[in-house]
Amino acid sequence: MEFQNRRNALKLIGAAVFTPLIQAAGTAVAAENAPASHMDALTAIRTRRSIRTFTDRDVTDAQVELLLRAAMDAPSAGNEQPWEFVVIRDRKTLEQVGGINRHAAYAKGAPVCILVCGNMHFDKFGGYWIEDVSAATQNILLAAHATGLGAVWTGIYPMADRVEAFRQLLNIPEHVVPMALVVIGYPKHQKPPADRFKPERIHKEKWQA
Amino acid sequence: MELFEAIHTRRSIRKYQDKEISDDLIEKILSAAMMAPSAGDERPWQFILVTDPDQKERITTVHPYVGMITKAPLGILICGDLKKEKFEGFWPQDCSAAMQNLLLAAHAEGLGAVWTGIYPIADRVEKFRNIFRLPDHIVPFGLAVLGWTKQKTAPKDRFAKDRVHHNIWQDKE
Repeated sequence: MEFQNRRNALKLIGAAVFTPLIQAAGTAVAAENAPASHMDALTAIRTRRSIRTFTDRDVTDAQVELLLRAAMDAPSAGNEQPWEFVVIRDRKTLEQVGGINRHAAYAKGAPVCILVCGNMHFDKFGGYWIEDVSAATQNILLAAHATGLGAVWTGIYPMADRVEAFRQLLNIPEHVVPMALVVIGYPKHQKPPADRFKPERIHKEKWQA
Repeated sequence: MELFEAIHTRRSIRKYQDKEISDDLIEKILSAAMMAPSAGDERPWQFILVTDPDQKERITTVHPYVGMITKAPLGILICGDLKKEKFEGFWPQDCSAAMQNLLLAAHAEGLGAVWTGIYPIADRVEKFRNIFRLPDHIVPFGLAVLGWTKQKTAPKDRFAKDRVHHNIWQDKE
């Protein structure tokens, strides 16, 4: 019972803290298409899909900040927080993405992209930065989905030519490594939930072939 | 629990109650992990559930920061299956996304959890490989330790404006 009371209290605190943030992001949104800003966590996880086609609708700075706040609350090795983010709205820049990664050419049709990077000055334990930045990226995707946006994670690292090309394109210094480009916008089409559950990937105590 | 509350109140929890986690809840959490995105939808993950006390004890001898597993009802070892790779070298990112989903789902269900790193520390990879008798193509990636917790978690604001650049890199150091 005590546990349940604490959970309820936390829900109230959570709502008090996050509702203004979510509402700030939502004020720019037209009424007929309000974002699903109060999506249950497990629902968000279960129904998130990769979205690659977008409407003309813009994504506001407030909405982007919400995504970055979610990203920066990811766990990280020894709390090292090695992430860096480049928010890209420039059309000329986004038009060049397809030339670097032909599987991400649709970036030129999105209102905003976020390049997620690792700053090697903060990689304290010899390589966990990839895992930290990936966790942050997953938070971005979930947060986007929960607010009615669509997004897709497009790969850069460890493909050396892509890393170098994005580094050149965005003037990124040597100690910072571009890891992925998240393409974000309002989805043109809704995708139904995928079912990726595979019981054969679950092993008890030891490896079972 | 609403998604943003889950993201912002999730913390690393290392103290647990003496209470089991049901199979249904374990499946729910693994289901969440398997809903992560992956390069070309390759889904390279494998999960080993650890409940055996001897196995937990062995783990504490090879990893400096997992002592709490002996007092936790469950450990989940996420591994990368190299045979499932479609795009070489992306599996650690895929498994990280799966781990983050796992942690969020656990937290949303009232559990406490912590991600303890294995890959890419070669020594740890080798030792976990031995303990779990993993074939060559299965790489131990990270161990989640989970349990029921009474610990209160408040949001911790890690937002740092100086990590945000616009359109091009801006030197801030």
